[in-house]
Amino acid sequence: MKKSLLQEFFKGFWEILPPFRLVLGLCPILAVTTLAENGLGMGIATTFVLFFSNILIALLKNVIPKKVRIAAFIIIIATFVVIVELVMKAYFFPISQKLGLFIPLIVVNCIILGRAEAFASKNTVLRSAADGLGVGLGFTMSLVLISSLRELLGAGSVFGIEVMWSGFEPFGFMVQAPGAFVCLGMILALINLVPKKI
Amino acid sequence: MEYLVLAVNAILVKNILLAQYLGNCPFMGVSKKTDTAAGMGMAVIFVMTFATFITWFVHYYFLVAFNIEYLQTIVFILVIAALVQLIEMFLKKSVPALYRSLGIFLPLITTNCAILGVAVLVITKDFSFLQSILYAFFSGIGFALALVIFAGIRERFEISHIPAAFKEMSIALITAGIIAMAFYGFKGLDTSLKSILIK
Amino acid sequence: MIKEYLKMIIVLTLIAAVCGFLLSAVKTFTFERIEEQILVNVKGPALKNVLSQSTNNPINDRLEIELDGIIHTVFIGKKGDQLYAVAYESEGNGFGGAIGVMLGIDIEKSTISGIGILTHQETPGLGSRISETSFTDKFKGRAVSDNFKVKKDNGSIDAISGATNSSRGVCSAAEKGVALYSKLKVEILKKINKRSDKK
Repeated sequence: MKKSLLQEFFKGFWEILPPFRLVLGLCPILAVTTLAENGLGMGIATTFVLFFSNILIALLKNVIPKKVRIAAFIIIIATFVVIVELVMKAYFFPISQKLGLFIPLIVVNCIILGRAEAFASKNTVLRSAADGLGVGLGFTMSLVLISSLRELLGAGSVFGIEVMWSGFEPFGFMVQAPGAFVCLGMILALINLVPKKI
Repeated sequence: MEYLVLAVNAILVKNILLAQYLGNCPFMGVSKKTDTAAGMGMAVIFVMTFATFITWFVHYYFLVAFNIEYLQTIVFILVIAALVQLIEMFLKKSVPALYRSLGIFLPLITTNCAILGVAVLVITKDFSFLQSILYAFFSGIGFALALVIFAGIRERFEISHIPAAFKEMSIALITAGIIAMAFYGFKGLDTSLKSILIK
Repeated sequence: MIKEYLKMIIVLTLIAAVCGFLLSAVKTFTFERIEEQILVNVKGPALKNVLSQSTNNPINDRLEIELDGIIHTVFIGKKGDQLYAVAYESEGNGFGGAIGVMLGIDIEKSTISGIGILTHQETPGLGSRISETSFTDKFKGRAVSDNFKVKKDNGSIDAISGATNSSRGVCSAAEKGVALYSKLKVEILKKINKRSDKK
């Protein structure tokens, strides 16, 4: 049964929500989620690359020979990553400095290559666009959720705005590497409690 | 002595998996058995060192020379992808024994962000050629070490009772968190060593 | 067979060419803005410190001055309409690598109006204390003709205890900087006078 365009879009929000349902792209979700602002920036950058690379790959799917498809995908994805790198440096310099190494690493984010191979190379342009945007926004949502939680507990604020009471002592653990792993593991367990199809 | 400090830093203090969050997909993916984890670890050490060796030259003698450093990402990933292909073909033909043990891990390595990550890191850190190669080699060892420890613990999960919601990935992530916490105990070791050894 | 290979090569080359073209277009479009952003975000805070009395925006009023084949970017500090100080970068070698220093000089009094550390790779907690104001303030108000060396080298600057090499790095940057001053001053005044003539 074929899904409607809207279903293709919304599946990224729950059914295959990365990185919980689709356990890919763990590096950015662990590394840049100490502040909600960073999580949001990373999410938008990834969505941009995913959306445009999905469209371009769906457009070219009949032209690219099977044997060199991965190489072609990598070139296309890397191009959009470099565009994001340059645009962020030009217009959002402070956040691009904070994300640093993890912006070029979007190129090896398995979600993007995974969607290119599993979806965009087999579907129409419109569907691939819906899929790319949906999965990208789902990923952004997850990033913002985890980073808000880590910032709330680790620094007592969300998006830089103090929200905890005045005597609150931040949990230093949450902003360190171990906190990232444990936090993600706990959220994953919570999500596992809810059925996949609602 | 300087290289001892670098080794301690890359393997223990700033472990690429547990402190720098690079290469987590294979960390979760191929860590269910100790022997596959060891195989992946070896493959990573080998490719990481070799890839950094080449990308260092590419960066300074090609990108810098032609003033196109902004293409770093795209050029590095292509170099790494091509290199992995070449290594695979070479091993298949010349060292079949090694190919049998490492071969299946090689295609996975192209999208291992630790490889590209280290290649970019040594450039941003302004490392010399020797420093870069050693840093890549030690980072690979750190990766293999963390992976094997992790797989050793994960093997035990098969015979333990884990609540349904925590099965598979969830418990794996929490375990990784606890190992990361143990490694966090090495913090400061490298700077302390540096201040004694290098006057 | 050959046709298939030919197709592969042609398609890949075409994709790469189109991508390359696209990237160079984006690069040219963003180039100036990126340079500007680096100035504002990396050098801005140091400049504010070094040219603390200026009422203008030193980044907007920067000049590029060529001296012996090297282009120096000079930031101009004005009180009202009157030029009072200039700032430019200099570099010295510390314990962990190069130390980038922003050097501000009061033109009226020929004294240092302040220095700020832009980049360094010194040991955290020890050498990194060169960026603290307790150290950088030691340079403030000294005449450009002063002897910028640490006391150990028969100079007049108190080194940070336990971080002599880092302190030496900053001193050598200051020394190199003031050595350029007299030549730079002539060029700067020439350029500024030319500018006001145009008005």
